[in-house]
Amino acid sequence: MFHARTSGKFLVAVAGGALLLSACAGTDSASKPTTSGSAAASSSSGAAKTITFAFDQEFSSYNGNTGAENASRNNLPLQRVLTGFWYYGGDGTVTPDKDFGTYEKISDDPLKVKYTINPAAVWSDGTPIDCDDLMLAWAANSGKIKGFSTAGTTGYELTDVPNCEKGGKEITHTYSEPFGDWAGALYSVGQVMPAQVVEKKGGLSEDEFIEAVKKKDAKKLADAIKFYNDGWVMKGQLLSEDLIPSSGPYKLSKFDAGQSLTFVANDKYWGPKPQVQTVVERFIALDQQAQALQNGEVNIAVPQPGPDVLNQLNALEGVTVKTGPQYFYDHLDFNLDSSPFKDRTLREAFAKCVPRQLIVDNLIKPLNPNAAILQTRLVASVQPNYADVVNGIGGEDKKYDQVDIEGAKALLEKAGKTGLEVKIGYQSPNPRRTSVAQLISDSCNKAGFKIKDNGDENFFGNGLTNNTYDVALFGWIGSDLISGSTSTYTSPSKCDSEHKGNNNGCYSNKKVDELLKKVNATTDKAAQTPLVAEAEKIMWQDLATIPLYENPNLTAWSEGVNNVIPNPTQAGISWNMDKWTIE
Amino acid sequence: MIVFIARRLVISFFVLLAATFIIFVLTAFAGDPLEDLRQDNSPQKLTKIAERSERMQLDVPVVLRYLGWLGRIVRGDLGVNRDGQAIAPILSDALSATLQLVLAATVLAITVGIVIGIISALRQYSGFDYTVTFAAFICFSLPLFWVAVMLKQYVAIEFNNWLKDPVIPPVVIGALALLGGLVFGALTVGDRRRRLVAFAVGLVVSGTLFTVLSVTRWFADPGLGTPLILAFGLATAVGFTALTAGLQYRGPLYATLAAAVIGAVCSQVLGPVLADPTWLEIGGLLLLTIAVCLGLGYALGGLQRRQAMTAATLTGVFTGAMVFLDRMLQAFSAYSASVRHRPVSTIGARTPNYQGDFWQTGLDSAGHLLLPTMALILISLATYTRFSRASMLEVMNQDYVRTARAKGLPERTVVLKHAFRNGLIPVTTMMAFDLAGVIGGAVVTENVFGWRGMGFMFTKGLQEVDPGPVMAFFLVTGTTVVVFNMIADILYAYLDPRIRLS
Repeated sequence: MFHARTSGKFLVAVAGGALLLSACAGTDSASKPTTSGSAAASSSSGAAKTITFAFDQEFSSYNGNTGAENASRNNLPLQRVLTGFWYYGGDGTVTPDKDFGTYEKISDDPLKVKYTINPAAVWSDGTPIDCDDLMLAWAANSGKIKGFSTAGTTGYELTDVPNCEKGGKEITHTYSEPFGDWAGALYSVGQVMPAQVVEKKGGLSEDEFIEAVKKKDAKKLADAIKFYNDGWVMKGQLLSEDLIPSSGPYKLSKFDAGQSLTFVANDKYWGPKPQVQTVVERFIALDQQAQALQNGEVNIAVPQPGPDVLNQLNALEGVTVKTGPQYFYDHLDFNLDSSPFKDRTLREAFAKCVPRQLIVDNLIKPLNPNAAILQTRLVASVQPNYADVVNGIGGEDKKYDQVDIEGAKALLEKAGKTGLEVKIGYQSPNPRRTSVAQLISDSCNKAGFKIKDNGDENFFGNGLTNNTYDVALFGWIGSDLISGSTSTYTSPSKCDSEHKGNNNGCYSNKKVDELLKKVNATTDKAAQTPLVAEAEKIMWQDLATIPLYENPNLTAWSEGVNNVIPNPTQAGISWNMDKWTIE
Repeated sequence: MIVFIARRLVISFFVLLAATFIIFVLTAFAGDPLEDLRQDNSPQKLTKIAERSERMQLDVPVVLRYLGWLGRIVRGDLGVNRDGQAIAPILSDALSATLQLVLAATVLAITVGIVIGIISALRQYSGFDYTVTFAAFICFSLPLFWVAVMLKQYVAIEFNNWLKDPVIPPVVIGALALLGGLVFGALTVGDRRRRLVAFAVGLVVSGTLFTVLSVTRWFADPGLGTPLILAFGLATAVGFTALTAGLQYRGPLYATLAAAVIGAVCSQVLGPVLADPTWLEIGGLLLLTIAVCLGLGYALGGLQRRQAMTAATLTGVFTGAMVFLDRMLQAFSAYSASVRHRPVSTIGARTPNYQGDFWQTGLDSAGHLLLPTMALILISLATYTRFSRASMLEVMNQDYVRTARAKGLPERTVVLKHAFRNGLIPVTTMMAFDLAGVIGGAVVTENVFGWRGMGFMFTKGLQEVDPGPVMAFFLVTGTTVVVFNMIADILYAYLDPRIRLS
């Protein structure tokens, strides 16, 4: 042992001395009068005019219309920055934005739609919003001018070049064929980009730009196209103000990479002024949002729905928790190309043993108490015509609400396939879908199937495209628009990965093809419902797919925040952020 | 030395080159870069796939893609990620976020870890040693994500709630007093009576301290005040003198005491300068402090001039740090009010759009750094403690230490001059690796506390099977590993005269 004694004394002397001195002096400093008050009060009232919401993905581009940037990370925050003729409202339906302008069908055959921009509409840089902005949206999204990157040409591809004159506020589109979704196709929120910026960057005057688009002159537009595709992508900070004029109640004021995006009221906005001057979006991972809400760092959180998070949020005082369905439903797809399920009897046997009610009760109801079995593929439960469509199916769907083990067993025996192995494929890891596969396995094994959980990390890349599954379990994102989902159920020209598109199982029924085509061409929304119901009925009779449930969403906001309305579509929470208030 | 460095750099360059190839190929084969698009059910699925395939050159063989990447790197172009965003600004943001996050934590963990490790080595088999060992193993085995959630709940949310009326309940005061007593007792060596006295002193001191803090609601509007700064400064002056020169010489002691007094006086005199300074001014003040203290040491040091200069500088910087801390604490109540009385944050690097003076923005950063720094320290502190304790124990039992004692050298000289320096050598190796590692990002910490740093960039790139960001990440971290290892080798030569580099 070394000289512990001496060094011990020394250590005690130093440590003890320091602590003693600090204790004595602590009294002195602590007794000094407190000097806070007025400054604190004023700054806290300033902070109260801000609403902060959480979102898990980081903003990356002012133009969410290109193939690469078309994602919620851009489209969600820009909902009230770049407005358009319509948006997805609180119930997820197509809602015209009367402040931006009006549009109406002026003829059915040929289909003609007239768009009129609000005469008062003006970009935040002072340039009036007029038809060259619409021309830009058309040029970029119609697919008729080479070079523009677009996330979708639906609707635009059927229309002709807009009849735009410089400074005009009105255009009329003529469709080459009847189009059922005309009200929700062209010039949506986020699609009308500031043409003056593109013109400037493309080295064109307004007249030259209009002329070039009319002539579909990709060469002349080359620089403009280049800017449209890449020029609005953020580079570590917000682009300069002249590049990102706003057409909505808010404009972007600051982008703090990796942290937050700040919106301030756009004083040039001609419509109703927003209630709150500043809104901040903070980029926070889904599983961290609940505690951020609890600690007051965000006012609105949209965490990943789960029983634990729900309990945690429900336990918080003053926090409003709202659950609901999303336009995003999970379903079972049969492989109708290369699996035993080509045989309808086997599909029926399988459908009889899938415990749809149990799946909803066990996995969805804890998160969304109002959840019910989803009965349709083409419409979502929040859509106004859902009930009518379900009625129109005429009970075909109800046959599979309850499990019928005996019936399934009998059908299997009749087909001589007792003990049939069924591979359920899905993208893993996904705890919810693993549970679904487990519940199906528990039930269907009793009926004589042998269910195999084929969850795979590369299911979408491999299993689904090459049809190596018997039953696929995955989700479709739906919308109020019928044109988005019809191709999924239309017969493919050939059943391989190149031609089958979204119809992975290669479902084919001439009658359904015909009905879907007809729906797509029906311009009267109400007249679509019976056609949709008829198609759904046939698909139930064919057991093309088995819809299971709509994935739940979860929103929570703190005390004093009002008018937050969760949106079941991809538009997300921010669709009405100009109506939010905070006490 | 120069030959050594040049040789190391040339070899490292080729190692890095080979590594970039391996990493590139591994990343490119790590999965399906189109996975998210395959789940897409929009009609434009094929267009999107085609667009991304073209941007990522998925139709080109991996080796050719690598060569293309290499060609761009040579020209200084990091390229774009799969969505077409330039990687260079993403990298610089990530790097600065990571540095902010891990630098303080690493430096603190190293300093505190080594100090605790050495003390517990000097007090081998004492209560303190056992406690440190026990705590180190517990911290070692804590899962970071769990620690993070607990910290958020108790150190942020509950602590913020408590701050609204910062009264420490008597039971807690009792527990803290007991803890203080135990620490004092454990640190004391001697017979039972001495330990009991130390325990009693610790009990009373910490009991009084926390009672006073509670009664005066110190936490609502904290601060140190000049008397406390002076007291701390004088205590450090004595401490540093004892460590470097020994208390038997008057010169060094006067120098350090003078440094402490001047520092404390400055806290009063420098009021206007410190009202709303910039980092540049703070840096200038730091340099000034060092200059003044060196002068004091030189003038008053006498025969022990060199030691006096070191001790005076350390004391001066420490006192300056106390003045800095005092200013920051004084800004606390205003800052707290401006963030709705919730100063400790659970997420992010700063309050969005926060505006305040130097001290308030400093507090804002501190409030956001507190939890991640605690989490990081808890884990790496354990490693450093164990490591430095082991190496110190080994050195203390060496023959030359016994010889030094036999010569009659004071214990201070034996420990600090003969043992400590040699004990640091193995720790240096670990520090080099650790520093290079932290640049690579604390993946879990970053994720849980909402910092988009290097770790986030790397995992995102890997999940998206996008070689661009992964390679940018690798270039930075790979180079740091190489450089830091070289620095470690050079430090060896400095710490251990037996090692020659060339």
